[in-house]
Amino acid sequence: MIRFILSLFIPFRWFIEKMGADYNQFIRILELKLTLDNRRVNPMSKKAKNDQRNMLLTQSVTMIFLGVFFGIFLSMIKSPFTFYYLSHTFLMGMMAMTIISEFTTIIFDTSENVIIQPLPIKGNTISLARNAHVFIYLALMAFNLSVVSIIIAIVKFGMLSGLVFIVTIFLNVLFTLFLANIMYLGILRLATGEQLKNLLMYFQVAIAILFMAAYQFGIKMIDKSNIMNMVLPVHWYTFLVPPAFFSGFIDGVTVRQNGLQDFIFIAEALLLPFVAIFLTGKYLTPVFNRKLMDLEQGDRMSKVRIEKSHQSLWFRLMSSLFAYGKEEKAAFKLMWKMTGRERLFKQTVLPSFGYIVIIIVLPFFNKPGSLSDMAKSDRYLFILYAFILIASSLPGAILIGTNQHASWVFKSLPMQSPSVFFKGSIKAAFSKFFMPFYILVTAVVCYVWGIRVLPDALIAFLVIYLFAILMYYFQNPIFPFASEKSAVQGGSASIKVFGLLSVAAALGFLHKFLLHWFAYSNLMLIPFYVAIILYVNNVMVPGKISWKEVDRVNTY
Amino acid sequence: MDSQTIVSIRNLKKSYGTKEVLKGINLEITSGQIIGYIGPNGAGKSTTVKILCGLISEFDGEVEIFGKLLGSKTLEIKKQIGYIPENAVLYEALTPMEFMEFIGEMRGLNSEQTRRKAEALMSIFEMKPNINQRIATFSKGMRQKVLICSSLLHNPDLIFMDEPLSGLDANSVIMVKEMLIHLAREGKTIFYSSHIMDVVEKISDRIILIDQGNVIADGSFTELSKISNDANLEKMFTRLTGNTNHEEKAEAFINAFEK
Repeated sequence: MIRFILSLFIPFRWFIEKMGADYNQFIRILELKLTLDNRRVNPMSKKAKNDQRNMLLTQSVTMIFLGVFFGIFLSMIKSPFTFYYLSHTFLMGMMAMTIISEFTTIIFDTSENVIIQPLPIKGNTISLARNAHVFIYLALMAFNLSVVSIIIAIVKFGMLSGLVFIVTIFLNVLFTLFLANIMYLGILRLATGEQLKNLLMYFQVAIAILFMAAYQFGIKMIDKSNIMNMVLPVHWYTFLVPPAFFSGFIDGVTVRQNGLQDFIFIAEALLLPFVAIFLTGKYLTPVFNRKLMDLEQGDRMSKVRIEKSHQSLWFRLMSSLFAYGKEEKAAFKLMWKMTGRERLFKQTVLPSFGYIVIIIVLPFFNKPGSLSDMAKSDRYLFILYAFILIASSLPGAILIGTNQHASWVFKSLPMQSPSVFFKGSIKAAFSKFFMPFYILVTAVVCYVWGIRVLPDALIAFLVIYLFAILMYYFQNPIFPFASEKSAVQGGSASIKVFGLLSVAAALGFLHKFLLHWFAYSNLMLIPFYVAIILYVNNVMVPGKISWKEVDRVNTY
Repeated sequence: MDSQTIVSIRNLKKSYGTKEVLKGINLEITSGQIIGYIGPNGAGKSTTVKILCGLISEFDGEVEIFGKLLGSKTLEIKKQIGYIPENAVLYEALTPMEFMEFIGEMRGLNSEQTRRKAEALMSIFEMKPNINQRIATFSKGMRQKVLICSSLLHNPDLIFMDEPLSGLDANSVIMVKEMLIHLAREGKTIFYSSHIMDVVEKISDRIILIDQGNVIADGSFTELSKISNDANLEKMFTRLTGNTNHEEKAEAFINAFEK
């Protein structure tokens, strides 16, 4: 498989060398990266090779499935230009979100520097290989997302149109990658060292939220009654919009009715991605590499702020509420500190806060009405259950980090059962990143809907807490921040958000159904959920998370 | 102080897949000694240390530490031992003080006691100013010092050290060597695994040499040198592990890269 992927670069040898890279070295580095991806241990299992393949397969199937929904929407559109324009916009959005949420760590990965830097390899070769690595996964993702659209395009607009569409998908991937490079270079110029890493993290979070908002607003704004006849007009500025290059290119090649307009689009689609990538490879990557080295050095030299939140009253309150026993309290305290500092953790968790804000705020834009109108509805349940987005981002985020070899510490300690440590970990993350915001929103909800909804807020809290701990305990028991993030995992974030929103909606509806079923359901549900939580924490987890299980997935 | 058997290893075997790393080690270790545990790369030194510290749970044979059987009483054993791993890998987001606080609390010390001890130990290594800085900014030697301090926090009776001097500057090396001798005088047992023959020769009361998973020499340096007629441990090591042709190998190596 790796050999096949590498052989696809042969026709571009001349182009790669023109960008200042050494082709043979480029191929060797890329081969190394792909081999490492293939052998990397997956957080969900220790059987590295088969599992990475399975994960790739699952993601591909999920992407194709997501593409089906978009395909159904696209199939209603008559105009080819609009069809392809929307396809490419969807693709660009999904890719940008993936680059930002998943691939930034890979683009900024400096772990190989220790091996590669002493070797006589040009910076351009390293950067190009790094980008080609991301390109391979992005192209796979884009292709999977578009499989259904390609079939629809072939059926609706003919074979030639479908084939040109495939070509434009790869051009789109190239162009999006160029835009990502430009964007990151811009940020690299703004800051250095630790400051830069934080800036990048917050930037990623902001962009992820922006995309979510744009997606939500975009869906709402489309007039679904008139989808079939939707035709996008071509204005002067349309020539500046990237998805239009590609849709105009397909139109120009297959329909050939618009003379100069076709010519401009064809030229843009064919030239811009290659020119952009050429300029990136030739001129931008040396700067990028230099800055990346600064970043690594800066990180070692820069003074690091140590937050003291673990001394606060809030910490003491949460610790006494959630953690029991000396060992669990020690684990709770350690994780309280570490979750506040581990960048990858924050990168994974913080976007869900933005999503929540959008989900809560969006209805006010759609149906503006008075607060008293709103207070008559059951909408508060959706607002409360939307918090499942934050809670469910925690279990996975606790696993990912750069401390693969630090878990020997826990094994060397006299802990009867490792379950106390795992319990302390999820409880610390939950009480630090979930509780304050949930309490705040509960207060607002109680203000709007009245104090009568307080038991519902409590039930929603118990359900979400149960959901989060079950998610965590059913993962492999890898010690905190000890699982590597691999390129293969890319692309899962966007799908996860959609999946979790469905779960939140289902749980909200179940709650609503039970409320309407009989008046005192609250009185039954609260002790019921408390009992399940106590059972999970005190009976299920000590049995499930044993040293034997922990040893299976951790290396010391 | 009377010596008593602290560690008793009987027919210890360990395999990784089809590769047998330890092929039946038998050892009795008494208290108040520094045991130099040496052997070539891949001989099974780190595996032995990890088994004795309870990091590797699956092995064949029987190990008793402080009269308690490893496996069924691992927890009690861990309470009395300290461990310094081969690679100084620590959670980089923490500060040394936070790391040691965690270790101390998990070992049953109270926060105040841990902080006091941590400060005292770090001061000796002249690292008190760094105690509240993140480990991410530390050099290898500084990390090693944090590890040494954290392994001694709970005043263990048996200390396992896997290449403890790695990355340390010359002054710290001398200091650690002296510290080990003092600890042994106080009755602590030190199981010291290293490649630095010079140090092992100078500080060890007993030297155990393993090769390909078997013990091939065991005794004090004086005893061993009497039998083998070797002037120093390095020569003894190379002869017993069957690697006497170093000059030829060096020549072949130079030829290989010059051609």
